[in-house]
Amino acid sequence: MALKTRPERAPEEDHLTAAARRGEPGIFREIYNTYRGRVYNLALYSAGDPAHAQDLLQAVFLKVFRGLRSFRFESSLATWIYRIAYNEFREHHRRRKPPFVPLEAVLGSAHEVDPQPNSHDQHARRERELIIQRAVMQLPFHMREVVVLKYVEGLSYDDMSRVLRCAPGTVASRLNRALAALEERLRPFREFL
Amino acid sequence: MSCWRFDLRKRMLPYLEARLSESETARLERHLLDCETCRALLVRLRAGHQMAQRLASLEIQNADAPDFEAEMAGFTAAASQDRAPGLAWRGWLDRLATPRIVTALSAVVLLQLGLLVVSNRGVLLGERSRASVARGSIDLAEFRPLTIPELKSNTQPHVATEGYVEDVHTDQDEGTVAFKLVQSPQNGSSFVVCEIMSPIQMASPAEGSRVRVYGVERYDAQENRNWYEVNPVLGIVPLKP
Repeated sequence: MALKTRPERAPEEDHLTAAARRGEPGIFREIYNTYRGRVYNLALYSAGDPAHAQDLLQAVFLKVFRGLRSFRFESSLATWIYRIAYNEFREHHRRRKPPFVPLEAVLGSAHEVDPQPNSHDQHARRERELIIQRAVMQLPFHMREVVVLKYVEGLSYDDMSRVLRCAPGTVASRLNRALAALEERLRPFREFL
Repeated sequence: MSCWRFDLRKRMLPYLEARLSESETARLERHLLDCETCRALLVRLRAGHQMAQRLASLEIQNADAPDFEAEMAGFTAAASQDRAPGLAWRGWLDRLATPRIVTALSAVVLLQLGLLVVSNRGVLLGERSRASVARGSIDLAEFRPLTIPELKSNTQPHVATEGYVEDVHTDQDEGTVAFKLVQSPQNGSSFVVCEIMSPIQMASPAEGSRVRVYGVERYDAQENRNWYEVNPVLGIVPLKP
């Protein structure tokens, strides 16, 4: 089964890996500047709010910098960082389970939402996308992570399986369950979305 | 009604993204024609997929994350905070790692390993018992027991049928194994074809052996075929000849 999505190795990855192997000064800054946006992105989906996302970002990069000396470069640098981030987010999730807030409580029930809120307005489009983002954030952790890794980070099934330490088939099953759950969650808002 | 074709469900998202090969696409579409459950799932996945695709446009820019200098101050503080607990934990480990404790722990691990080997010797020897198929949440009662001739008048998708294995054939291109299941070695005219999909990771039975196949029945109406198939989805259980 051909399950590749897009090339997962960023062009700067080879340069960063080589520089990290040589222990070049300033490599921490380069790694941080290259990956902070992606890790922050994942952290925000995982934590649900910017303050916690920044805490997670810091915790992840602290581990990245400490672990870089012992990193054996058997996987790509990005996969290794994603793996550290995933472990950190999972631990964070265990410690602090965010309270479940129904979408309806935030947005009003489906019949209260205007299905045609000035559809050409970019702001309205972003509002709709934020509804989807909020619904993703409400998915169970193991579903949310796989959706974010695929649809936000664009990882291939193989890379997701390396980050999540499970078989590509398991990744496919989790994605199916996650998308079905997302569809169910957003079904009342389909007309609006 | 549920469907046991988990192997095909895993291909639904790649199907929606047009990333399946022609043969895989054809196989999934053939199944979709027969299976209402999977058609309904595909509709839900398509809707979920379309919504999830819109997340990409919300990607947060690097600028939203704090810059390196701001973070370095945080790293220094965090490093000094967690150095002490880290060292304390290592001290604990050093104190625990005495030869007596290490020997005791090794003995416990070896004992557990021994028990594991004894309790799983059937599995380790490659035996597949009926009990191993019946474990888990799958209800064997959903698989209607039928003889091979009875399959022609069956209307239920999930069946359990028995027979002798003949003509085991491996399709390298498709990555599948197919075999004929005949009612008796003397009567080869009454048969069904069984196709094992590789993702299920089901071992192929030996030619001449007698087995019970738990699978999904379908009729292959393609030219030069026109036969009934029972494609194993739950298991193939060896029986006494």
